[in-house]
Amino acid sequence: MSTLHAHSDFARAILHVYGIITWTTALIGVLVFVVLGIIIVRFRARPGDTELPSQTRGHTVLEIGWTIGPALALLIIAIPTIQIVFRTQTAATPPDSLQVTVRGLQWWWEFRYPQLEVVTANELHLPAGRRVALRLDGPDVIHSFWVPGLGGKRDVIPGRLNQITLVPEGPGEYWGQCAEFCGASHANMGMRVVVQPPEEFDRWVAQQKAEPGEPAGAAATGKTIFAGSACVGCHTIRGVSAGVLGPDLTHFGSRSRLAAGMWPNTPQNVAEWVKDPQRLKPGVKMPTLGLSDEQATAVAAYLTGLK
Amino acid sequence: MTEPLQATQHEHASIGTYVRVAVILCIVTALEFTVIYIRRLTPILLPLLLVLSAGKFALVVMFYMHLRYDAKPLTFFFVSALLLASGIALALMTLTGDFLVFKR
Amino acid sequence: MATHEAALRTHDAAHARAAEGSGVLAWLTTVDHKRIGILYGSTAFAFLLIGGLEALLIRTQLLRPHMGVVSAQTYNALFTMHGTTMIFLAVMPLNAAFFNYIVPLMIGARDVAFPRLNALSYWIFLAGALFLNASFLVGTPPDAGWFGYANLTTRPFSPGPNVDFWLLSLQVLGASSVIAAVNFIVTILNMRAPGMTLMRMPLFVWMTLVTQFLIVLAFPSVTVGLIFLMFDRFLGTHFYDVAAGGDLHLWQHLFWIFGHPEVYILILPAFGIVSEVLPTFSRKPLFGAPVVIYSGVLIGFFGFGVWSHHMFAVGMGPVADAAFSIATMLIAVPTGVKIFNWLATMWGGRIRPTVAFHYAAGLVALFTIGGLSGVMHASPPVDLQQHDSYFVVAHMHYVLIGGSLIGIFAGLYYWWPKMTGRMLDERLGRLQFWLVVLGFNVAFFPQHFLGALGMPRRIYTYGVGSGWELWNLVSSVGAYVLGIGVLLFVLIAARSLRSGPRAPADPWDARTLEWRTSSPPPVHDFDAIPPVYGRDSFWREKYGDARGRKPAPRPETPDPHGIHLPSPSFWPVVIALGIGTAAVGALLHTALVVIGAGITVVGAFAFALQHHRDPAHVVQIGNLGVDHRKLAMWVFLGSECFFFGTLIATYIAYKGRSVVGPLPHEILNIPLTTLSTFDLLMSSLLMVLALAAVQRDDRAQSRLWLAGTALFGLIFLGFQAYEFTHFVHEGLTLQSNLFGSTFFVLTGFHGGHVTLGVLWLLALLVLDLRGRLAVSDSIKVEVAALYWHFVDIVWIVIFTLVYLLP
Repeated sequence: MSTLHAHSDFARAILHVYGIITWTTALIGVLVFVVLGIIIVRFRARPGDTELPSQTRGHTVLEIGWTIGPALALLIIAIPTIQIVFRTQTAATPPDSLQVTVRGLQWWWEFRYPQLEVVTANELHLPAGRRVALRLDGPDVIHSFWVPGLGGKRDVIPGRLNQITLVPEGPGEYWGQCAEFCGASHANMGMRVVVQPPEEFDRWVAQQKAEPGEPAGAAATGKTIFAGSACVGCHTIRGVSAGVLGPDLTHFGSRSRLAAGMWPNTPQNVAEWVKDPQRLKPGVKMPTLGLSDEQATAVAAYLTGLK
Repeated sequence: MTEPLQATQHEHASIGTYVRVAVILCIVTALEFTVIYIRRLTPILLPLLLVLSAGKFALVVMFYMHLRYDAKPLTFFFVSALLLASGIALALMTLTGDFLVFKR
Repeated sequence: MATHEAALRTHDAAHARAAEGSGVLAWLTTVDHKRIGILYGSTAFAFLLIGGLEALLIRTQLLRPHMGVVSAQTYNALFTMHGTTMIFLAVMPLNAAFFNYIVPLMIGARDVAFPRLNALSYWIFLAGALFLNASFLVGTPPDAGWFGYANLTTRPFSPGPNVDFWLLSLQVLGASSVIAAVNFIVTILNMRAPGMTLMRMPLFVWMTLVTQFLIVLAFPSVTVGLIFLMFDRFLGTHFYDVAAGGDLHLWQHLFWIFGHPEVYILILPAFGIVSEVLPTFSRKPLFGAPVVIYSGVLIGFFGFGVWSHHMFAVGMGPVADAAFSIATMLIAVPTGVKIFNWLATMWGGRIRPTVAFHYAAGLVALFTIGGLSGVMHASPPVDLQQHDSYFVVAHMHYVLIGGSLIGIFAGLYYWWPKMTGRMLDERLGRLQFWLVVLGFNVAFFPQHFLGALGMPRRIYTYGVGSGWELWNLVSSVGAYVLGIGVLLFVLIAARSLRSGPRAPADPWDARTLEWRTSSPPPVHDFDAIPPVYGRDSFWREKYGDARGRKPAPRPETPDPHGIHLPSPSFWPVVIALGIGTAAVGALLHTALVVIGAGITVVGAFAFALQHHRDPAHVVQIGNLGVDHRKLAMWVFLGSECFFFGTLIATYIAYKGRSVVGPLPHEILNIPLTTLSTFDLLMSSLLMVLALAAVQRDDRAQSRLWLAGTALFGLIFLGFQAYEFTHFVHEGLTLQSNLFGSTFFVLTGFHGGHVTLGVLWLLALLVLDLRGRLAVSDSIKVEVAALYWHFVDIVWIVIFTLVYLLP
């Protein structure tokens, strides 16, 4: 999650300026501290010292010097800054890029791959070495997409389409989190980003496009409960339901985390979650459905089985 | 003492001046009303209206609000605030909505 | 000195007014700038402790991963209230305490320009502060952040009264700040002792002046933003409604156009304090005083051109990002100049390391860190990694604690003897200093690391394995130490008040005029207005100039008008009560709003009448050669330029974004509006005729023209009423579309101004009819006229931009 390890061209460009600025400002800071230290040691009044010091009122050359000096130091910072600003903010979407529509919602992430016809949630898969255009869009309040390892954040603003373009270097797994306060569960709006070698990414795409397998045993009971309850109003499971308010669960079992990154995606955790989401994630839009322990376990078995 | 403590009796505009200003204000307003109906002026309508309106604004401020006759610091405060406010308003219009061709 | 103090003690006791009692009533009705300063200071310190308690709860929740000390909702309320409280209820009023107590003394004045207005500022502030915190008592504290980003704050996403408490109290507090700011601008520009030229003014007075201009010009923008939000929440307008075409950048711009100058409003007074404390304890003049003054003015001015650096992540595009980035970096230059000049002030001095000096030097060190980390996120790419992370939390606390609060402590230790007549314990004070400074650094330096490790702000919890565990623990421990340090000051202060040694008039061998009078000063500040011999006048009197030549002492001529002090007034409390009642009514019942507004209006009339019968000052014309009231009106009109500027800009920015009709060209009636424009222009002519008649004491004419102006104003309102009714019939209301929202709010607020002007004119007319409007009162008509003409010129702009432009 560190901002100091770059894993994309975007992050690398930022880190370059970051370094220049850190060293320049640190140098100025040390200078001020050294001078202040000298002053406090050297110019402390000694006991019985009643003579007035020289009543200097100013020194024009010195003052011009420490106006121009910092201004020059700022040039060192300003020039690479402006270069990177223009280089990293391209308005147009590069034509050969992989497009992902990132939707930030209270309090989870949806990732749509229009070229690949894949929809997933809270876990973004990207192919290493290929230019990606993340188009940020949101239907409710302002969120901010931030995966420190892949570069700077960009706000997801309803009514305004923002974009991040980058080439992830990989493979690797990175953690991201909403960075703009967005209400009760702002802290619980994480995401996992998986950068994979292209072949592995293609396999993941194929898996996501496949129909989920037919459940058996407890999972089959779970499917019946799911299909017969309010779940279907909000969630899509291809072939079962077509709700759009909550995350697409078609391949829920293929994700490693539950509820926008809060817990490992295990049957026990999922059972706890479907029983009482309000208790686990403050303010969450998912209602408490009043499932019994057995029902919850069955639904969890069904959902985690959707690989 | 660099600043006077006593207010110098400021010279004032005469009633005649006030009435003349009022007449000009009426004429300019009538002009503004007329020009929007003249088709041939359409290309320069925006700057024309802005200039006419600024002229009226300046007349009221200078004569009716006495800035022309009053202590200079007052002019300084008001004009600075006005310019700063206009600059910020312009920036606000540029950065919000679709106003001005300043595509992101 | 001895003779001087003796002179002070023998002053005529008759000067002390009955109001100088110590009862509750005396404090409720006081208009003494020193007492109001103490009221501000003690109230603000109480809120500092409340805000600190909120901070400690936040730090306790973040002590370890997955803590359950408070719920998510409570945590969100805590950081919202912590930010709002510290900025508006602690640091700003603590600064105001010094403005009130010290500035009049420093410029050799007996009070502020408008003492009763000064009391009004305080009581409105208190009403707003209590109203905001009352939200805790009813269990719905604001929870959408001190920055209240729309659309999270709109009704669909924040249905409860939480945000209502926040937006109403912020408007109330803004009114208090603007009133106080106008007052201090007039005081500083117009009430300086003879010889106190602008360039001889102490740095604290200069920084106060810049701060007040920032308040006057920056607050209108957020007020407009809050008005939009209030209309959206209460009346169903669409300013922040994306579905209706609203642009969510609007709130952020309106907020930060205010929000960034606000940073300088919080920090510049501290810069002023340090610029007084360092020279005193280095026993040297401030190095390059004019440059320090100019850089302060420049910081204030540039402060209006950098607001969008808070918005590098919102997607303004590379051109805007680059422009705001460069402007932000430029502001570092005058700030750096200040740091270097302070260092040069201490260099070569004979430093007496009092606690006040400790704090002042502490500011130089800690603010440098905050300033430099600020330069880091002036660079948009870097900011994209630091924005809304703990790095920014660290940065802004280095500025607001390391700068503002440390500066305020420097001022407290420095001026405490003057304000209370008692010395503070220096030994305990040093302990307190080290607790605060160590606690602060342990609490906030590690937050830089947390930010670099990717920890976002405003999260109530974090997971095990995030890598943030250690530094959060360290930070929380530091926060507790800082809390103990701040609390220790309460103990030190209490001990001083009870049994501290008596303070002489000039305990620090200081340089400025406030040390020339007794500690605490008499109710009238100075027996005779002190002579001013130059910059650091009092020091010159004692030690002479740079070569030790003392100025020829000028006799203190007694005041030609005698010492005149304003009489106390309970109307400020009444008006503040009215405003508070109206705010409560907004949440409970409309009837209560009407009652509150009624109390406010009656109170305002009584307030004005008291001014008419019993003015605060005999002479109202000051250093600029202008009447206080006229100067105040012009400054206020500057503020109004920003108010209407942002309203009009919003109208134009939203023009053409309505998704449904009716649209402007379908509905605006230009011929009719041309008529109403004529009417308003002619009312301005009648207004100048009325003023001229009052000035030449022509009663018959003055009554005729005053009545005529008011009548023309009423006719204009009639036109507007007709227009609004017609539009509603045509299907255009506040709620129909963006055009309706922006149009009615803009022209409605203009109409509100006209209404206020008509009431003002009618009040003057009544005075005139009762024969109470003498030639000497013509200034009152002149001030009303300025307001009236301003309303007229605003209409000139609206007529062109809203009606005529295609």
